[in-house]
Amino acid sequence: MATDAKELAHSSIEALSEQIRTQEISPVEVTQTMLARIDELNPKIHAYYTVFHDEVMEDAQRAEQEIARGNYRGPLHGIPMGIKDIYEMKRTTCGSQSLQEYVAEEDCVAVKKLKDAGALILGKTATYEFAYGIQSLKSPVEPVRSAWDLSREAGGSSSGSGGAVAAGMAYAGMGSCTGGSIRWPAQCLLHVGLKATYGRVSRRGIFPLSWSLDHPGPLARTVKDSALVLQGVAGYDEGDPASAKVPVPDFTAKMDRDIRGMRIGLLADLYEKSCDPKVLEVYNKAVDKYRSLGAEIVKVPTIGIPELEAIEWPTLWADAAAIHVRNIRNRGEQYNPNTRQFIQWGLLVSSAYYLLASRCRAQVRDDLNAALTKDCDVLMLPTAGFQGPPPVAEESPGLNFIGSAFEIYTPIFNFTGHPAIQVPCGFDSDGLAVGFQIAAKPFDEVTMFQVARAYEQSESWHTMHPDI
Amino acid sequence: MVIAKLAEWEIVASEDDLAELVPAYEALMKSQNVLENMLRTRSMGNAMEFPLSEPAVIHDLERYR
Repeated sequence: MATDAKELAHSSIEALSEQIRTQEISPVEVTQTMLARIDELNPKIHAYYTVFHDEVMEDAQRAEQEIARGNYRGPLHGIPMGIKDIYEMKRTTCGSQSLQEYVAEEDCVAVKKLKDAGALILGKTATYEFAYGIQSLKSPVEPVRSAWDLSREAGGSSSGSGGAVAAGMAYAGMGSCTGGSIRWPAQCLLHVGLKATYGRVSRRGIFPLSWSLDHPGPLARTVKDSALVLQGVAGYDEGDPASAKVPVPDFTAKMDRDIRGMRIGLLADLYEKSCDPKVLEVYNKAVDKYRSLGAEIVKVPTIGIPELEAIEWPTLWADAAAIHVRNIRNRGEQYNPNTRQFIQWGLLVSSAYYLLASRCRAQVRDDLNAALTKDCDVLMLPTAGFQGPPPVAEESPGLNFIGSAFEIYTPIFNFTGHPAIQVPCGFDSDGLAVGFQIAAKPFDEVTMFQVARAYEQSESWHTMHPDI
Repeated sequence: MVIAKLAEWEIVASEDDLAELVPAYEALMKSQNVLENMLRTRSMGNAMEFPLSEPAVIHDLERYR
């Protein structure tokens, strides 16, 4: 593939949208480049289940005509994207044999909004089964491979959207996050992964995993790109009972302001003892960078890994069990073994346990809100405490990987609902990508983006991509 | 215990599934103690306020603005 086509494929939305707006490049040319790469690379990466070759080319031609007539809709106009296959849009399998024939009657709200903003939908991207059952070589669908190292998976559960962006087969991909399914693959692939405040983005038409933990959001190459995609999908929806009736700000409003004097609160209690030293070394350099940018670093007391796991996972599995129990009873053999076992585990969670977890969850949320009011402007911690991504799984990993060196720090913001973003901060001594999270007050994504962008622009990680 | 609890939902687990579920259930019981200990660190008054219904964060918007 020609170098210029490769560079075009790995462009940021920020840069590409300006070229499209000024008609320096056509959405048709961009989309052709994406489709050619998908045809070439998807058999190796397995990021897409379905590709809409004809429809997306028609949409690209329509976008080209609109822009030529002066009807430019904004930064997503003419930008090709992928959509996780739990979002209702055409055939929607959720990565499961049990849904191979399901075709959505209409697009989910997030997809409608993206189309209204002019985004071009390339196809439906791969997912862990129902957003959590890890795909292995024994699964009916192929696991997604990392473009950085084809022997490794892309992280999950939003594997396909991340895998597509990493391989230059989309400029952004929509994912969903219940415990880290956007931020974790983003770390694995040296991307930005965003989960906005609970209630910021409608979940109507997205297959649920846990009603109180699910957050839709994008995987993208840069902080600004993720803000631009969020701008396209954010907003109140009366059809989602969790949707928040709050104003949608300009998410880029403070994007390039400096951060001198801002206070960054480290959630060190959660990661200091459990984080792999190789990961911690890279993360601590990012903390030092923030110090050099003029931020004040403080420590914010919080829970440890046992408390995080005790709240997050049983809540998630109990919710999932309530969603899947009928299917498991009637056609459990069509599920991946570890998906089925997680659901069965959820049925073992008592109502009293669930309520205990809800009380503890509120306690953590209150503590973090209080810290963000009094002690700091944003929170910071690593995305995960272990190296990743793992090699592609030979077979279903079962249940026991939870609680055994599974120090992932993303779920804390799923159960508190705070907006959180994963920012890449380099590679560890084994060459594996490392990232950190910045979280902010509820509905203050603008400050979160400001702080995340300040680090990003002080380094060059966001400009790197696999040589593919 | 695991077999009986699943039977309440008319689920019959395979031997392979049970091999995963039994240690997982034991881990769940340990987590229960973790949660109880967490709540013990709070005053009774605070504990009585919980749980707020979902969506968790939105309920607190006004309080922290």
